[in-house]
Amino acid sequence: MRINVLRAFLVAWRRAAMVTAAALVAIAPALAHHSFTMFDMTKRITLVGTVTAFEWSNPHAYIEIDEVGEAGELKHWSIELGSPSILMSSGWKFSSLKKGDKTTLVINPLKSGQAGGFLYTATLPDGRILSNGPMRQP
Amino acid sequence: MSNIVLSVTIALGGAFSVAALAQSQVKPPDLTGVWAVYRGARGGDPKLAPTEAGPLALKPEYAKPYEARRAVEAEANKRGEQLANSSALCIPYGVPTMMSVAIYPVEIIQTPRQVTIISEAFSEVRRVYLDRPQEKLEDVPPGYYGRSVGHWEGDTLVVDTIGIKTSVSGYRGMPHSEQMRITEHLRLVAPDYLHDQVTIVDPVVLDKPVVYTLAYKRTPGYEMVEFVCDNNREFVDEKGVVRMRLKDH
Repeated sequence: MRINVLRAFLVAWRRAAMVTAAALVAIAPALAHHSFTMFDMTKRITLVGTVTAFEWSNPHAYIEIDEVGEAGELKHWSIELGSPSILMSSGWKFSSLKKGDKTTLVINPLKSGQAGGFLYTATLPDGRILSNGPMRQP
Repeated sequence: MSNIVLSVTIALGGAFSVAALAQSQVKPPDLTGVWAVYRGARGGDPKLAPTEAGPLALKPEYAKPYEARRAVEAEANKRGEQLANSSALCIPYGVPTMMSVAIYPVEIIQTPRQVTIISEAFSEVRRVYLDRPQEKLEDVPPGYYGRSVGHWEGDTLVVDTIGIKTSVSGYRGMPHSEQMRITEHLRLVAPDYLHDQVTIVDPVVLDKPVVYTLAYKRTPGYEMVEFVCDNNREFVDEKGVVRMRLKDH
């Protein structure tokens, strides 16, 4: 019984590792000008808050967001996206987000523990969920 | 009767000479358009896919520092750190790397006298002159794009590039000298599929040429996106590691 549990765990773990490896290979081309090493690509966290700025710029777009904590306290995050060219192929526009919009972001956080990360998906005010480029499909 | 024979002979002779002329002056294909990087597809025709170069045949005095640098980069990567490189600082790639950057397309504008190649990433531009000879190596100021001249060999555009400065990182980050010479063969391998076979020779750094092939697929109607690197939040810290600048509001 114990061995079966162990085996099941190993199979699941190996599968997870393969999925992670596949995800890393898939994301690699999305970042032209630097690697994703600084982000923890194995970890995803969800931020719910208010956009303070949406910068449609190169080499990356950025979302600045005030996350609302459980007690109502605010924590500010800087979130990196792909470039406008890469985002457009995933349905983004320069006007997809604006200051004051409520949004939910799923991100890969910085390994340093600072309040920054790399976008995985964003939920727009109209309910659409957009990914961070064609290589980052949810 | 003899008139008929003569007419047929003239007509046939004329047809043959036209065919011979056509053979020597094949109208070059039109490469004008936007081309997406094509990496091959599962189940797709392997003849359309790009090919990598084999192991780089660097001369020993260049191989050692190159391998050492790669090892240091790999170690940093394991620690979760990326060491500084030019592109993280928004410095353009130059030739030949600009021909294939991530998933960014290139636009080719072909005229009888010049082929212009624009890469979307960093908006890099190459000009290939078809109506003049190459300069001598010592007359070309080293730069990111050097000097390119080209000519048509049947259906293939052959491009010769010299004058790439040594600080411009090459294929797989390989080093090169100012004597590097890049020859490219651009050819449609199928309708709307373009190959660029790149051959790099360098008598100072390489024992053997480096040869690889880039592949592209035509994307009709695509409008190139501007790429001015004016919001680079990546910076290099005192240890030479790439970091992301954060804002507090």
